[in-house]
Amino acid sequence: MKLATPNTAIEFVCFLAALIFLFKDKDAAWRLLIPYLFLTFAVETLGLYMRLILGVNNITVYNCFLILECLFNSYFFYSLYKHFKYSAKWLYAWLGFFAAMYLAEMMYDKYQGFVSITASVMSVVFVLAALYYYYLKLRDEHHEPLLVSPHFWWVCGTLFFYFGSTVCNLFFDYMSTQSYADNRSVRYIIFIMLNITLYSCWTFSFICRYRQRKLHHSLR
Amino acid sequence: MPISSKEVTSLIALTSVIFFIAPLFLIIYVVQYNRKKKKHVEEKILLQKTFENELLKTQIEVQEQTLKTIAYDLHDNIGQLLSLTTITLSSVNIEDREKTANKITLADDLVKRSVKEVKALARMLHSEELVSRGIAAAIEFELEWLKRSERFVIHFDKTGHKPFNNDTAIETILFRLFQEIINNIMQHAQATEIYITLDHQEDDFRLTIRDNGIGFNVDEVMNRKMGMGLQNIVKRSAMIHGTATISSTPQGSTFIITAPQQ
Repeated sequence: MKLATPNTAIEFVCFLAALIFLFKDKDAAWRLLIPYLFLTFAVETLGLYMRLILGVNNITVYNCFLILECLFNSYFFYSLYKHFKYSAKWLYAWLGFFAAMYLAEMMYDKYQGFVSITASVMSVVFVLAALYYYYLKLRDEHHEPLLVSPHFWWVCGTLFFYFGSTVCNLFFDYMSTQSYADNRSVRYIIFIMLNITLYSCWTFSFICRYRQRKLHHSLR
Repeated sequence: MPISSKEVTSLIALTSVIFFIAPLFLIIYVVQYNRKKKKHVEEKILLQKTFENELLKTQIEVQEQTLKTIAYDLHDNIGQLLSLTTITLSSVNIEDREKTANKITLADDLVKRSVKEVKALARMLHSEELVSRGIAAAIEFELEWLKRSERFVIHFDKTGHKPFNNDTAIETILFRLFQEIINNIMQHAQATEIYITLDHQEDDFRLTIRDNGIGFNVDEVMNRKMGMGLQNIVKRSAMIHGTATISSTPQGSTFIITAPQQ
């Protein structure tokens, strides 16, 4: 029962929603959300298991997951921008930069700590990517009802999560040095809030995507 | 004074809440802007539909005007010629060979004139197609008919005119404006001379129609709101992103219509 937390619960619900609503989706980026969400849930559970049951450090798991998180979100943003004739070279440039920064931080920490600087920079880049998406939407002459747009809700969730977690990321080192009881509740509550917002927005975006696909089929 | 760890934690919590709320405002702004965009798109579609409806109405009015001209011509011109032919032929006395020959020659002449008139009418039936050849050609053709009535001395100057680039919609509306102004002059102005000029004012097409009639009170007529009057001329000019300037004195009236020409 220790493994059933609000975070794992909302992640699992979101994974189930993705499985139901995106299973037959034709877009690879949307379909990829199913394994990605499953891995997110698995990593979260494994992290908890390692920390609470085995009593070992779980930083390596999260460090590995960060690569997956970066790859998936970057690819998804790229698939959003593709509609606006966006060049793939920026995606490769960003991934190259991320890889270099990740490796540098890992080596600097001698593979012991969490790559918090890389995670912070990644958060900032995703916030900028979300803002850029809004900018493109504002500039786009073609009107799209945003409140039922799956892309819009996906970006909303992402923006809430990465923007909201910026402070926690920036103070990660500080919080690590404090006693667990002091900062646990604050950090824990913040991340529960962020996760609920992120996965609620994403779940809603999957429903919108499903409805959009059904509507598209019925109009054919 | 050093800051306690509790204070820092509170600060982190507070900042996180602010960072969490900030995107909400941004998202609300984007959604609101999108709504405005939707409204703008709807207005644009409505405007386009209004323009299309007005264009259709204009085309029908041009056709009606053509049919009216044809009806008048059939009644006043061809009808008279054919009646005269009938009378001439019915008065033929075969015994009187000399007079008969004269009458047949006269009847032949009348029939030839009737044929000519019918041919001209047939051309008139295609007057809407004339607009596709350009506003100048359409106006010229319309003026030919006006000249035949011999009620007015017509002065037409198109030396400064540059043809439109296949914008038949604008030309149709301009042609209808021309017809309406000429109708107004014929009905109310008591003029003897009409001056029509096609030229340019900077990049805009300009149609100037001037008469030497009795004039009218522009403001009063504009406020009267009856039928396809001056208001409609102004409205339709605005619809093609142009202007209509109307001025009048007891010595005559001037109508200036401008329209952008790209």
